[in-house]
Formats: sequence, structure tokens, C-alpha cells
Amino acid sequence: MRIELDRPRCEGHGLCEEAAPTLMHLDDDGELLIDVPEVDGADLDAAKAAVRVCPVAALRLEAA
Amino acid sequence: MTAPTESAIDIWDDDILVDPYPAYAALREQAGVVHLPKNDLYVVTRYDIIRDVLGDPSTFSSTTLGFNPMVNEALQGTSLASDPPVHTQLRATLSENLTPRALRGLKVTIDEKADKLVAELVASGSFEAIDSLARAFPLEIVAELIGFSGHVKDNMLRWGQAAMQVIGPLNQRTQESFPIAGELYGWCSSVTGDDLTPGSIGRGIFDAESRGDIPEGSAGHIIHQYLGAGVDTTIASIGNIVALFGRHPEQLQLVRENPELVPAAFAEVLRYWTPLHIWGRTATRDVEIDGVTVPAGAQLGVLLGAGNRDARHYENPDVFDVTRNPVDHLSFGYGPHGCAGQGLAKLEGHAIVGALARQVQSITITDEARVASNMTRSIDKLHVAKVVAA
Repeated sequence: MRIELDRPRCEGHGLCEEAAPTLMHLDDDGELLIDVPEVDGADLDAAKAAVRVCPVAALRLEAA
Repeated sequence: MTAPTESAIDIWDDDILVDPYPAYAALREQAGVVHLPKNDLYVVTRYDIIRDVLGDPSTFSSTTLGFNPMVNEALQGTSLASDPPVHTQLRATLSENLTPRALRGLKVTIDEKADKLVAELVASGSFEAIDSLARAFPLEIVAELIGFSGHVKDNMLRWGQAAMQVIGPLNQRTQESFPIAGELYGWCSSVTGDDLTPGSIGRGIFDAESRGDIPEGSAGHIIHQYLGAGVDTTIASIGNIVALFGRHPEQLQLVRENPELVPAAFAEVLRYWTPLHIWGRTATRDVEIDGVTVPAGAQLGVLLGAGNRDARHYENPDVFDVTRNPVDHLSFGYGPHGCAGQGLAKLEGHAIVGALARQVQSITITDEARVASNMTRSIDKLHVAKVVAA
């Protein structure tokens, strides 16, 4: 699966980074960077958690 | 097509507004969506369904966010009452100064203000927590942020309460509040950048308008939304912090022993006692929800507090537990219209929880009084009879 970010919608709340710190992080300007866009196995669970906690629904998972 | 089941509950009944949880439980157990003929309303009651509704703006429009035609008319053209794609640009303009990255520099100031205010209250030995803390703190933060003082600051509490109240149905509370909400609207329509403190966010919004970065005339609307949305709700959540720590001393103790629980404790306060009672949507087409059909044009009422206590999603939902960390609670809504001010609300809430955990060993509360209100559920009076310093 692939993590897709709706960048205009992202406001940098950072809950996704807390849920999946190995997959994504906020840079020094507070912009979200997806470090590992293609996910499977244990990463997929973390990615699902990140998608779930985004308060503005800016993340989604799509078939790679 | 199966029609939703009905309930005789009046969701704006005074007793239900003061303690909605028994009604929420009954409606939630009845169905995920229930028709309330008394309110001409379909209420959405379960966690997953609420998330689905809030996450699907093309099916569930925000054009009837409020529960009377006058307020919906007044809100036209704001991000609150718009749908994508128009919403996207309005939202970006509104939230630009409220994102966590924009607010980063404020954390130290807000923490210091909270520590100072709590220290004064602890030193006094006993205090009334709503006026002296729950109201005083956010009013000071918001006044400084927008950059106003004087008569505006004096009016902000009643203006902020009225701005929320008028989103309700056309009952007596709404009718009495319209003239007061109108005073806020009038001030926001006439205020200029020069009226606001240099360097404040409010002044910056007017500067952005002068530069042409945001549409002409939008600065006043943005200030109006900050004030309408950011006062009554935050007051409710801070009052709830004090009351819940008073009722559950062992939970305060847990946060005292584990300061890393501060964000989790605030999230649990928001989940357990939801500041916003209900939020509106319109079905744009006949839509099946939880096996029944809600007709096109129906007014929906999303019961955020009912979803926050749904046992299908949260284990032991009626227990207040600061270790739960319910980061996905519904109190900020969800999706494209999710609370634009949640970054600021969290800064304020974490500052108060942190200050109490550092400075207070225990509090004894008495006389917790609530007054029925259409949209916000908050404590009106909360006497802290005894506070033991840490």
C-alpha cells in the first residue's frame, strides 16, 4: 500500500508522526514529509494508525 | 428504503443539555441514526458513523451547520458553512495563523501565564474556578492573540457565549442571544488593523488583507470566527479539567507522577465531557446510514459526545482514565472541517493541566453548577473549597 498525503489539507498537527515515527516526520518548518511511502507488514499497521489519527483526514492509503 | 427509527427525545430540553449522557446512551443503543420529530432532526449517535459523516462533505454538506435559517444565512461565505472546493481556500486562510507550526512560538508564553495564574489561585487557598481560571485564562490568551483590549475584552465572554448559542434552534436562548451575537458581528465588521496591537496575529491578518494575500473584507470575518469559536469551547474544557481532577483525585495523582501524561489527560477530559453538544449537516442525497435511509435535504445533528462514549470504540467509555490517550476523540470534529483552532486549544489545555499537576496536590470542589446552553456544555460555577499546594 502507498501512503498518500493531501498536502493542501495538511496543517501539521503532527499526530501521524506520533503514530508512525518511522514512516513520516514534520520538518523544521512543520511540513510533513513521508519518509516511507510504500508500506507493508508491520509498517502497514503503523501507517493505518497514522491515517486514522489525522484530525483533518489529510492522509489515506491506496493500493500501490 | 427503510426509514430511521424515531425517538420522542427533545435534544434541546434543558435537563438533557445539562446532563445529556443518559439521552446519548438511549439514542446510541437505539440506532446509529435516529429521527427526532420534535426537533425535525436526524441525530447521528455512534463513533464510526460520526467519523464517516464528518469525513464525507460531498454527501453531508455544512451549509446547514446551524439549526436555524437565520444563523445559516449569516454564516454563508465562511469556511464553517462551505463545502469543498470553495471551503479549501477559505479554510487555508482561516487556519494559516492557527496551525501548530504558526503557534510554536506561543507555547512558552502560554505555559508561563498558566503557571502564574494557577500559582495565584493555589496561594489563595480557595477560589471560584470558572471566573478566575476557566474564563480568565482563554480570554487573556485570545485578547493578546487578536490584539484587543478595553471594552472589547470586557464584552468577549458574553459575545462568545452568544455566538455559540445562536447556532441552536429558534428557542428562547437563541432569540435572546441574537442581539448580543450581533454586537460581536458589528465590532468585527468595523474593526481595522490600526485598532489592534502591533505584532498581534489579528493585526497580521489585516496586514495580509492590505497586501492582497487574502480577499478584501475577509480579515473581519476571520477575527469573527476566531472569537466565535475560540472562547466558549475552551472555557468549557478548562472548567472541566478542574472539575474532573476534583472528582477523581487519583487521576490527578497519576498525572503528577507521570508528567508525560499531560496531553493524554487533556484528550481524555475532551472525550469524557465533550464541550460541543451537537453540530449540523445536510444530506445532499438520499443516503443509507447504518442500514436505514436518510432522505435528501434532511437536517442531521452530529452528537459528538454520544460518539465519544461509544463502547463499540472505547473500552469502558464511561470511566475517566488519563492513561487512555484517546487521540482520535471527536471533540474537535473530524475531517476537512475539523477544529481549525485545535492547536491553540491544546496549548491552552496542556498548559493548565501541566500547571495544576505541578502545583496542586489535591483540590476539594463543591457547588458545581451548570446552565442549559444550546451548543456548548460547560460549568457555570465551580467552587474550589480547598486547594492543597504540592
